[in-house]
Amino acid sequence: MALEKDALKNAIEEKATKSPKPQLYIKDFYVCDPDSKPRVIKNVANEMVREGRLMFWSSGSTTMYGIPSRIQDEDAKAEGGED
Amino acid sequence: MAKHETPLLDQLESGPWPSFVSDIKRQAETKPECWDILGVLELSYEERITHWKHGGIVGVFGYGGGVVGRYVDLPKRFPGVEHFHTMRVNQPSSKYYTTKFLRQLSDLWEKHGSGMTNMHGSTGDIILLGCRTEELEPMFWDMTHEMNQDLGGSGSNLRTPANCLGQSRCEWSCYDTEEVCYNLTMHYQDELHRPAFPYKFKFKFSGCPNDCVSAIARSDVAVIGTWRDDIQIDQAAVKEYIAGNYPGNGGAHSGRDWGKFDIQKEVIDLCPTECMWMEDGELKIDNSECTRCMHCINVMPRALRPGKDKGATICVGAKAPILDGAQFATMIVPFMKIEKENDYEELIDFIEKIWDWWMVEGKNRERCGECMQRFGLPEFLRIMGLEPLPQHIKEPRSNPYVFWKEEEVPGGWERDVVEFRKKHAA
Ligand code: HEM
Ligand code: HEM
Ligand code: SF4
Ligand code: SF4
Repeated sequence: MALEKDALKNAIEEKATKSPKPQLYIKDFYVCDPDSKPRVIKNVANEMVREGRLMFWSSGSTTMYGIPSRIQDEDAKAEGGED
Repeated sequence: MAKHETPLLDQLESGPWPSFVSDIKRQAETKPECWDILGVLELSYEERITHWKHGGIVGVFGYGGGVVGRYVDLPKRFPGVEHFHTMRVNQPSSKYYTTKFLRQLSDLWEKHGSGMTNMHGSTGDIILLGCRTEELEPMFWDMTHEMNQDLGGSGSNLRTPANCLGQSRCEWSCYDTEEVCYNLTMHYQDELHRPAFPYKFKFKFSGCPNDCVSAIARSDVAVIGTWRDDIQIDQAAVKEYIAGNYPGNGGAHSGRDWGKFDIQKEVIDLCPTECMWMEDGELKIDNSECTRCMHCINVMPRALRPGKDKGATICVGAKAPILDGAQFATMIVPFMKIEKENDYEELIDFIEKIWDWWMVEGKNRERCGECMQRFGLPEFLRIMGLEPLPQHIKEPRSNPYVFWKEEEVPGGWERDVVEFRKKHAA
């Protein structure tokens, strides 16, 4: 049985919090609920971006998702390196 | 005054052709940050290493595409390009603009960005090059509110669909490319603005096999106009070409005298399937052999036209050479009617069947065409619910290995050896 939307959101949030890297591909969230179709998971993840629970991170050619605070921390560290 | 010494770049101004270096210098007179573009490029020429960094959290709220983040790794030395993000603007179908639109967009970009543009990026969008993170939202606000203009796709999104100018200008267009492009762009707004896939996904629409948007080389789903009945021939006009009264190729080669038009040499002998000949002063075509290459029609547009039963061929899986080599799209559906009456239902079903498969099976950063190769054409056809067709085979043995499944064989794999040996003694 596919998870209810709120349960799916919590599972996605947990996955994004515990992953070794702060940026995750949309595919990484499929395991959160093998019974939900990929397009359902994509729609829920995008809804979480609108709610501010997730954030997009873009390489330019790929777009990834992450917990805003984790991503911002990493971006702040990356800004440091210079000259 | 030049802010950096750029001897290597200056050399690129010495040729007889237009130079991007001169263009950027001119732009730098009003937008001083552009000097730093030249400065960092000169440094890269010297050191032979890039100083650009990719990626980050740039974007406009709620969109997971449309902005490509770029930063320089020496912001103290080149503060003008500390942030130098690209914005992609969804071009209108066929890239028809009013001058008012172009002025407005240029003014906005002078206000919020570097003023530098790339008309157009290879995907088709208008590319606005270079702005700071804090200018993204104001630019987006002005563009959407003052110009009713949206961003295009980037990242793992559906990329901005593109089309040839089709029936708006071209008599060869076998369906209304602009209409389909517009409708599918609107239909897939979510996929266009938010990441949905393992990697980028593109569709492009050409009205005929001349394929003016290079759909076959550049798109995951290429929709290329074609016809399935006979090429229309006006024999009287054929005679006019032969007599030299009509210029070949619509007069495109008129700058020089190429000699008298020779239908045998210029048309019949160049037909790739050798399916044309002259008979009693008339041009004949064996349409069952014609591959719709467009050559004869291109040369004699007043005498020959595409047939009347029009639609499109659907090819899948082209890509540029980032991981494996470049790959052309593979012909999957030889003919599909492309009609607005049923809201392009057949095409949309086809596209979504690919997505349903690729979103599950595609690896991260694996294009649909690479995924297809990994699975093999027979398996891809099975997934799409299509029967293998003679048209799927380029020539004998280029793809002969279509395997039977046990349930497709009467009696399955088990057979009665005694019964068999009655007919075939060991
Ligand atoms: C050595 C430096 C660079 C290399 C090797 C490089 C390489 C590439 C490659 C391979 C692509 C195609 C990516 C894809 O479609 O998935 C690409 C696209 C792109 N790059 Fe770069 N790039 C460089 C510098 C830059 C810089 C400095 C900028 C802007 C400041 C930039 C902006 C872009 C943009 C906007 C695209 C997408 C173009 C389009 O719409 O087709 N790149 N680059
Ligand atoms: C169960 C029976 C058979 C099997 C498994 C078999 C298998 C094969 C295979 C794998 C090839 C290579 C195909 C290729 O290069 O594309 C081949 C080629 C060939 N086979 Fe068979 N074969 C069988 C029966 C026969 C029979 C009964 C004949 C003749 C009466 C025959 C005549 C040939 C010929 C002439 C070729 C070369 C074709 C060419 O490359 O132009 N085979 N066969
Ligand atoms: S692809 Fe064909 S229909 Fe489209 S503009 Fe080119 S020649 Fe005309
Ligand atoms: S369209 Fe091409 S293949 Fe067909 S008859 Fe003309 S030249 Fe030959």
